[in-house]
Parts: sequence; C-alpha cells; structure tokens
Amino acid sequence: MEERPGDDRPQLPPPSLWPVGFAVGVVCLLVGLVVSWWVAAAGAALALIFGFLWVRDVVSGRERATGPSSDEPATDGAPAIPEHEAERFPRSKFLEGATLGLGALIGALVTLPVVAAALVPGFVKQKSKPVNLGPLANFKEGQYYVATFERNQKEGYISRMSAFIRNNGSTNGKPSFTCISNRCVHLGCPVQAGGPVFDKESKTVKSGSGEVDLTPALPAAGFICPCHGGAYDQEGNRIAGPPVRALNRFEFAIVEDHLVLGDMYSVAKVDGSGASAKIHKYDLAGPGQHVDGPEQLLYPLQPPH
Amino acid sequence: MSSLDQRRAGFQRYKARVKKDGKPFYPFAMFHDTVMSLVVVCVIIGLAVIWRYGISGNHILGSLIGAPADPGTRNFVPRPDWYFYFLFYLLRIFKWPESVILATIGIPTLCLVLLLILPFVDTRTERRLSRRPVAIVAAALVIVSMGVLTYKGATAQEAIASEVKAAIPSWAKKQGFQNNQEALKGANLFAESGCTNCHTYLGTGSSNLGAPDLSAEGAKGKGIQFQIDHLTCPSCVNPGSPMPPFKALGPDNLKALATFLEASKGSK
Amino acid sequence: MAVTSTKKRGKLEGAAMYPLDWLEERSGLVGGIKYFLFRKVPGDTSWWHTLGSATLTAFLVQLVTGVILAMYYKPDVNSAHESVQHITHDVWGGWLVRGMHRWGASVFIILLFMHMGRVFLFGAYKYPRELNWIVGVLILATALFEGLTGYLLPFDQTAYWATVVAININGTAPFVGPYLATILRGGAEIGPDTLARFYSIHMLLVPGALIGLIGLHLYLVVRLGVTSPPWSKDAADRPPDPEPSAPPRSGLVQPAPRAAGVRRRPSE
Repeated sequence: MEERPGDDRPQLPPPSLWPVGFAVGVVCLLVGLVVSWWVAAAGAALALIFGFLWVRDVVSGRERATGPSSDEPATDGAPAIPEHEAERFPRSKFLEGATLGLGALIGALVTLPVVAAALVPGFVKQKSKPVNLGPLANFKEGQYYVATFERNQKEGYISRMSAFIRNNGSTNGKPSFTCISNRCVHLGCPVQAGGPVFDKESKTVKSGSGEVDLTPALPAAGFICPCHGGAYDQEGNRIAGPPVRALNRFEFAIVEDHLVLGDMYSVAKVDGSGASAKIHKYDLAGPGQHVDGPEQLLYPLQPPH
Repeated sequence: MSSLDQRRAGFQRYKARVKKDGKPFYPFAMFHDTVMSLVVVCVIIGLAVIWRYGISGNHILGSLIGAPADPGTRNFVPRPDWYFYFLFYLLRIFKWPESVILATIGIPTLCLVLLLILPFVDTRTERRLSRRPVAIVAAALVIVSMGVLTYKGATAQEAIASEVKAAIPSWAKKQGFQNNQEALKGANLFAESGCTNCHTYLGTGSSNLGAPDLSAEGAKGKGIQFQIDHLTCPSCVNPGSPMPPFKALGPDNLKALATFLEASKGSK
Repeated sequence: MAVTSTKKRGKLEGAAMYPLDWLEERSGLVGGIKYFLFRKVPGDTSWWHTLGSATLTAFLVQLVTGVILAMYYKPDVNSAHESVQHITHDVWGGWLVRGMHRWGASVFIILLFMHMGRVFLFGAYKYPRELNWIVGVLILATALFEGLTGYLLPFDQTAYWATVVAININGTAPFVGPYLATILRGGAEIGPDTLARFYSIHMLLVPGALIGLIGLHLYLVVRLGVTSPPWSKDAADRPPDPEPSAPPRSGLVQPAPRAAGVRRRPSE
C-alpha cells in the first residue's frame, strides 16, 4: 500500500524537460547581449516560454500529488505499458535490433575504410615506367652486360634492380636485345652470372632515368641462383633446380638511339638463342608461380603489376 | 579411447588431489619460475654482450649489422634467420619445380594442422610416457629431423663465385700451386664460372649430372691442350656430355683454367 | 584476521593493510592477485614446468627492449639502416638494448618450442586443456610471424633478401598466394611502403594479438590448473589403485596372518 504523501514532507517536483529549454534561453540571452540583439531577443523569448511551462509543471505537479491518488497500479519499477499496446510496439525488441544494427553500422564505418586503406593501395597504380639504359653504343654486340638501375626514380634506391642485357645485333634492320631480369623465378633471390664479371670495366651512365651501372660479364655457365640451387642457361631457360619456368624478361624499345626497358613479362621457355630466339611469353607472374602446364590452374588471376 | 565421462571424472580426481595434496603456487612453484626467469634474462644479456664485444676479440656471434640493403645486388647470398634454416633446407631438398609448392606451403601447413588437431586425435587420458609410444616416436622424429634440417641449412653452401672463392687459398696450399700465377687465375675463373654447380673439388661444390670430382684431375696426365679442347667443346671430346661449352671465355682464360686443372694433383 | 596480542599491534597492522583493503573494496584486484598467488598446484611440479614462465619472461624482455628501440628507430627505407647503426654505436646503452632484443627473439623462439615439447610429452594438452593447447599453437604461429616482420627492420642485405623470399613463399599459395604477397608488400615489388607496413605490424598489430593470446593462455592455466608430471601417481589411464590394507606375506617363513575370529584346528 502506497503511503500518501502528507503536507509535512518535502514535495519534490516531478521530472521535467522544460528547465533545459529555459537554460538554453538564458544562455542565448546572455550571449546575445554580446553578439547580437536578435539572438538576445530569441533567448529572452525562449527563456520566458520554457520558464512559464516549467513553473506550470511544478505547480500542477504539486497539486496532482496532493490530490486524489492516480490509478497507477503498484509496479515493481518496470515501465507500465498499457497491455493493449504491448503487441503494437514491442519496444525491447526494437531496442535490441536498433542497438545491434547501429553497432554493426558503426563497426563497418570504422573498419571498412581503414582496412581498405591497408589493402587496396597495393593493387592500384602499380604500372612501372620505362627505364632508359643509355646510348646503344655502350652495348657491344654479343656481350652480356649486367645493368643496375632504378625502376622508379621517385622511389629511388629502394627500386633498384639488375638485369642481364645482350645486344644481339640487327636482323632485317630491327635491333634485337636480350633483356633478362635477375630475380630468380623460384623465390626471388638475386641471380648471378655464371662466369667472370669484369668489375674493373664497369661504367656508370647518366640517362633520363637516373644513373645506370653497366658491367660487362661472361656468363659461360648461364645464370646461377645463390639460394636453393636454381640454374639457368644463357637464354634464361631453367636447366637445374627448383625454378618453375624461365627467367622473366623485359620488353625493350629503341628511343632516340637509347635502349629503353619496358614492362616485365614472364617466359615459360625460350627456343633458340639470340636474335632468332622464340620466346614463349606470358603475363607477368610472381616467383614460384607456374605459367604453363597443369599447375597454371593454381594461379588463375594475377594482381596488377 | 577414454570417453568424455571418464575424462571428466579424471579431472575431478585431479582437482580433489590438488586440493588435498597441493601446495600454494607462491612460494613453491613460483620460486622455480623466478630462478628460471633469472637464468633467461642473464642468458639474453650475456648473448648481447658477447655479440657486441666478442670473446677475446672473436666475434663468434656474427657482425653487428650487414651492408645496407641493395635491391640491385649482383653478388649477395641470401640466408634467413637461424630458426628458419630448417625451412630453408627443405626448399633446397625439393629441387623439382612441380614440388616447390609442397615445400613452401604444403609441409608447413600440414604441420600446423597436425598441431592444431592434436588434442582431438589423442583423447586418451594416459599420460605416462612408457604407455605412449606414438607420442615418443613422433617427438623424437620431429626433434631429430628439425635438428638435422637446421644443421644442414646452416652449412649449406652455394656454387657461386663469392662463396667458392673463399676456399681458393686453402686449395692452393693443399694442391701446392700457390706460386703459380696462371693456376691461381684459373682457380678464380673456376670459382666464377659456376663449375662447382656440377663438379666437386676438395670438398666444395655438389655433384650433379654425373660430373666427376676434379680434385685430382691433373694426376690423370691428360695435358693442358686436352683440357683446353674439352672446355671449348665438351661434347665434341666426350660425346653425350651434358657439360655446356666454355668457348666464350676466350683463349687466355681457357689456358689459365687448363693450367689450374693440370696443377690439381690431388691433396697431399 | 590473525589474533593480535595487543591492541596497538592490531592498529598497526590495520594501518598497513588499509590501502590494500581500500583497493580490494573498490576493485576486487587484491583478492584476484591473492587467488593467483596462493592457488594450489600439484605438489610434484618440476623444473620442466618453468619453461612456460621463462617464455613469458623472454616475451616481456622483447616488449620492453622493443619500446626503447622504437624511440630511436626510423622506419624509412632511406634512414632505417642508418638509425640502427646509430642505436648500436651512438646511443648510450643502445648496443645492449638492441642486442637483448635481437638475441631475446631467438631465446623466445627456442623456449617456445621447448615449452611446446614439454607440454606435448607431459600430455598436458589433453582434456580439459585442449583449448589452451590450440591457443598455444596460435601463439607459436604469431610469434614466428613477429620474428619474420622484425627481421626486415634493420634493412641490411640479409634482412631485405630474406624478406623477399619469405613474401614469395607466401605468394606460391594456390589462388590467393599472389594477392597475399601483394598485401604483405603493399605493392607489386618491395617498396617504401613495405618497411612501414612491416613496422606497423611488428610494433602494433602482432604484439597486441600476442598480449591477448598470452593473457587468454594464462587465464586458462590458472582456471584449469597445472598438470602433474607424467611420473606422477595420477598420470595413468585409470583411477589410482586403492592402498592395500596390510602388506601381503607368503606364509613360508612366518605363519600367514589369520583372520580374526578363526579358531585353530585341534590338530595344530
């Protein structure tokens, strides 16, 4: 049985939102005194209106408390939902769904852009620029050179790589070059020339793509990988060890009498040698990834290179 | 196989026994832990000190840092950290291109899967080692094979110039050609030209494609001209030989190589 | 509370215990720590059981030394190598912190494997500790990945090329390999982004994961209890045999014990 509140006990006003509006009004009034008369006027109006509503609430609330008791049934603290409305507004279910839904939305908003920023940049803008290796005169015919250059001038030193270049002379007026990448196609180790490399005759050429080191070499035994026993012949074909195909090669072009290296591509094998070599070309694949044979099914789609 | 109920009952017995006969973690077990942790910290500090100062000047733990990374390098021999040597050697064992993926992905993934499913494969409550033969054999196999693979990975050598050249002074001493300039030049060419990919010589190199050991080539009395002819065109001299021609080295280099081979009489 | 002889002593103890009581009433932490320290463990735990906490110590050494190194290291491809040399030669005590971190990594891996081997041989992965074993295997894989990312950071030749090979090993995985390699590298080739990426993973992502996993691992150890060694009485696959009431005697030397209440036969 609820105890009726008597006159000797302090009366607490019922909860009300009007004081908030009143406070906002007072603040606007004070700020407006400094900033602008219109704001002050709006603030005064707000304060008056909400003040009036607040006072009315307090007064009428007190009357209601001392008046006849309301018909509220004794509750155990749970909000009293009129029964006939329970099916129409299943409030707790809505709250559950809204909480989880909003939570999922927040989670997605935070994680998806962040994860995308971590993962996506590796797949866009990966095209490499052509590299100018200097005047053709530096490449004596039939002689292999180890050329060390920067693939991307903006990135600088980190983009250095070496390639084995051989001038095969001209066939029908078209110059032919063999441009073999020195990254092993087993797992990417730097392949070495299988023969003497004449460091004393090395020279540095300044070209449009920065500095290029050219060192003559005599890879009589082909090219050998120092890591796991891979060996290639002078055309880059695999002759021993775990490499899964021939060494990658570069497209090349002659621009204003300079040798320019283009995109890298993968090679399954090379028949013949020199200018008349038949190169079985494929799109660039990573080391250890087969480009022909049944194993190529394991690597159907390459990311952009 | 013990049923789930048996295992649950066993755990209840364990809990009762610990309650009755157990000792508080602190200080009994924690004392052991603290001593061992102190040992670990001292070992780590000791290793750091030895790395920095060496033992009587010998830097037995390697250099403090190598040359800066050069992505365009022409003469570096990559090696992983020591605890990956077993995987490194595994990659060298699987020499056939079709089997590469077994060594890189297949075996490591298989090991990881076996480790993860272990508690579901072995559901016996038996823990006495004398009654767990499979466990003992498996543990012994794993420890021995990882140890062997790690050791072989650590000692793996490559048949390329930089590694082979390091052995030339000892060759010169053993074969007695340290004063023969031509032979020394030939020895350098021998190291640079990848010969040790297929030939062994005084313990260096690997034997491939049936290539003979050349440590005592000079004792066979074939003569310098034969060596030059053979190097120029091996399959002309030795029909069916898989050895590539080295004509491109030029007559001077070929003569030096031939001199080196003829000076190799076999270690004294 | 223990009974005190004098009121004054009780007051002193009360004053000393006051901060702990204040903390305990507001957080329950003191009770938690007391539970951890004074929980019962089997009475026959051995030195083999110290390998787990030794591994934890090595990890903590890595954490602390890693934080200090991060104050001087520069994760940029053009200054990383230089900053490591700076730490080794110029920073006061830098050589010690760097040495401890580098060798602490090896010690951590060794202790991890030894701890795993000990748990395997003791059968401590069996019910109800299967989840703990799985968490442990995840810790192993994560710790190996931590070593891999950390190895690139000095950015010398060994670091660079070992990382090239490691990334390409991942690249050989079927279907997803090329994408996995690109994600690790942050591009088609190792570039300036790769080092920063590895640094972030090594410093933030993996240590966070390791701390979480190790925390879970320790929680499970405390909750499920420490296993006794396999030479302990309860290591068998069945309840322990009940103690015999009296030692059996053969009856040849001494008369066999007679059950109480049996009358001697008149002939004896």
